[in-house]
Amino acid sequence: MPKIILQRVTILVMMLFIVSVAAFCVPLLSDGDPARTILLSRVSDLDLAPEAVEAIRKELGLDRPLPVQYLSWLGAALQGDLGYSFASRQPVAAEIARALGVSIILALSALGAALLVALPLGTAAAMRPGGKIDGFTTLVIQTLVATPEYWFAPISILVFALWLGILPSAGWQGWESLVLPAMALMLRPMAYFTQVTRASMREVVAAPYITAARARGLSMNEAVVHHGLRNGSLPVVTFFALWFAGLLGGSVVIEVIFAVPGMGRLLYEAVVNNDVPVLQGGFVALVGLSILINTLADVLYVLFNPAMRGSHGH
Amino acid sequence: MDTKMANPRSTFDDGHRSPLAGAYTFVCSRHWTFKTGSALLALILAMVCFAQWVAPYDPAAQDLINRLQPPSALHWLGTDHLGRDVLSRLMVGGQFAIAISAITVIITLVVGTLIGVVAGRAGGLIDEVAMRVVDLLISIPDVVIAIFLIGVFGPNYVTLILSLSLIGWTPYARLARGLAKEVNAREYIRAAEILGMKRSFVILRHIVPNTIRPIAAVSFLRFGHKLITVGGLSYLGLGVRPPNPDWGLMMAEAQPYLERAPILMIAPGAMIFLAALGVTWIGHGMEIERRGASSRVAANAEEAENASP
Repeated sequence: MPKIILQRVTILVMMLFIVSVAAFCVPLLSDGDPARTILLSRVSDLDLAPEAVEAIRKELGLDRPLPVQYLSWLGAALQGDLGYSFASRQPVAAEIARALGVSIILALSALGAALLVALPLGTAAAMRPGGKIDGFTTLVIQTLVATPEYWFAPISILVFALWLGILPSAGWQGWESLVLPAMALMLRPMAYFTQVTRASMREVVAAPYITAARARGLSMNEAVVHHGLRNGSLPVVTFFALWFAGLLGGSVVIEVIFAVPGMGRLLYEAVVNNDVPVLQGGFVALVGLSILINTLADVLYVLFNPAMRGSHGH
Repeated sequence: MDTKMANPRSTFDDGHRSPLAGAYTFVCSRHWTFKTGSALLALILAMVCFAQWVAPYDPAAQDLINRLQPPSALHWLGTDHLGRDVLSRLMVGGQFAIAISAITVIITLVVGTLIGVVAGRAGGLIDEVAMRVVDLLISIPDVVIAIFLIGVFGPNYVTLILSLSLIGWTPYARLARGLAKEVNAREYIRAAEILGMKRSFVILRHIVPNTIRPIAAVSFLRFGHKLITVGGLSYLGLGVRPPNPDWGLMMAEAQPYLERAPILMIAPGAMIFLAALGVTWIGHGMEIERRGASSRVAANAEEAENASP
């Protein structure tokens, strides 16, 4: 077992290295002198003196060889220093920490709500294969998978904020402002969670221990709820980790529509303001976090499931 | 001669079928989701391709006196904030999004299948590492990659397609690897090995053909996902650029008039939804046929596992 964990960690470190190199190198590939860009962001004067550009190049160490620059950037990043935003002149790390907190709350509420619907619906569909609920579920899943969340969101604003006036249309104050964005974000995960729950519960319903429980006199519902639900929901848990990591940055459009100050909007504003340090930091944080969360989920799964000792479940 | 006269249909079926008729009979014998999805997609593609000739108005023609008109006999879906005809713009609006999504799907399909097949065939450490990398990459939303690259290089179609392909190959690789593992155990592979066939020959001639049908099913499902992603980026102004009419862009332009003219928002979103639904149904129908209706649920679960955020 330690061997598997060691291998997972090796690949994790390797991937984090590649991601950091990409985040550092990609901005260098775009045309434009970084020293000039940085100076422009500070003085906003188009007529820059060449001496001033050279001075800032020296000051920031941009005249050193690239590997040295990368290492010093990485060293600073590992200590939580990702530089300063061009636009707000605040430390990037602090901005990311703030935004990440918001995105985590949003992602958890969307996924939690998705689970609350998906587990009962998937289980109910699995109990009677080919029945009414089963067919209905298939239809719902396919509709939800094809629904653009940025289409659902404005319509929900129209109905709940503009016509009914019961929920705020944008902003980030109190739980009311959480409802509409979370509703828009939960659609697709809900569809996929339902699919996974239904498939794993279908196996559970046919398992010998359910038959045994039925033979002891439990009703089908009791047998499934008491003995099957825990086994059946295990695959959903790993799936949860995947979507949690994905939603942290994947909710850009929704965060922009609802003016939610999360990671997605931070990145979007960085693009609009041409704010390279925030882009770089946000990219490293989101991709790194997603790789980290998935490795963690995987290691936990191996630890709790000795049967998963083989390399792959496929 | 007499027998032929007695049954003219058989001669007709035996070789003189036009490709269109062939496609028609092919589609008609499929699962209902495949049929409905194909019909939907064909309708949308036809509309988008022939929009220039079919559209009632010039999609770019402004008419500021008649701006934000409700639907009427003259303008079936009303007019937008510059007085342009919404229906005409809807008809043209899919061109870029569909083209970009299709190119991305083709690139990722080829790259992913090759990586997956090679990993599955090679086995050992290569396989192990490749699949771990896929597991880790698959949860990264392509929007994040797209925003990073577009932020650095500016919005253009090459960057867009590249950034959507960078992670997009992972579901195909996972699927193709699993299929390659299955095929590896077959006897004709052993036979080819014993005959001393080249490694690339075995992969391209024996393994890749076995992956085509499942990969095709997944590629339709992914196509829907790409359409939604491209639409979202256009909504943010990072995808399709104005003045090209585009569904995502139309939605962004409609936002200030949400209460006054909700149809400006609802109609283009509905187009993205219908296009995505069409391809999802096609992919779903193909997947069900491949596995047989009895394992429909397993097919669904695999769709979910191959879907990334």
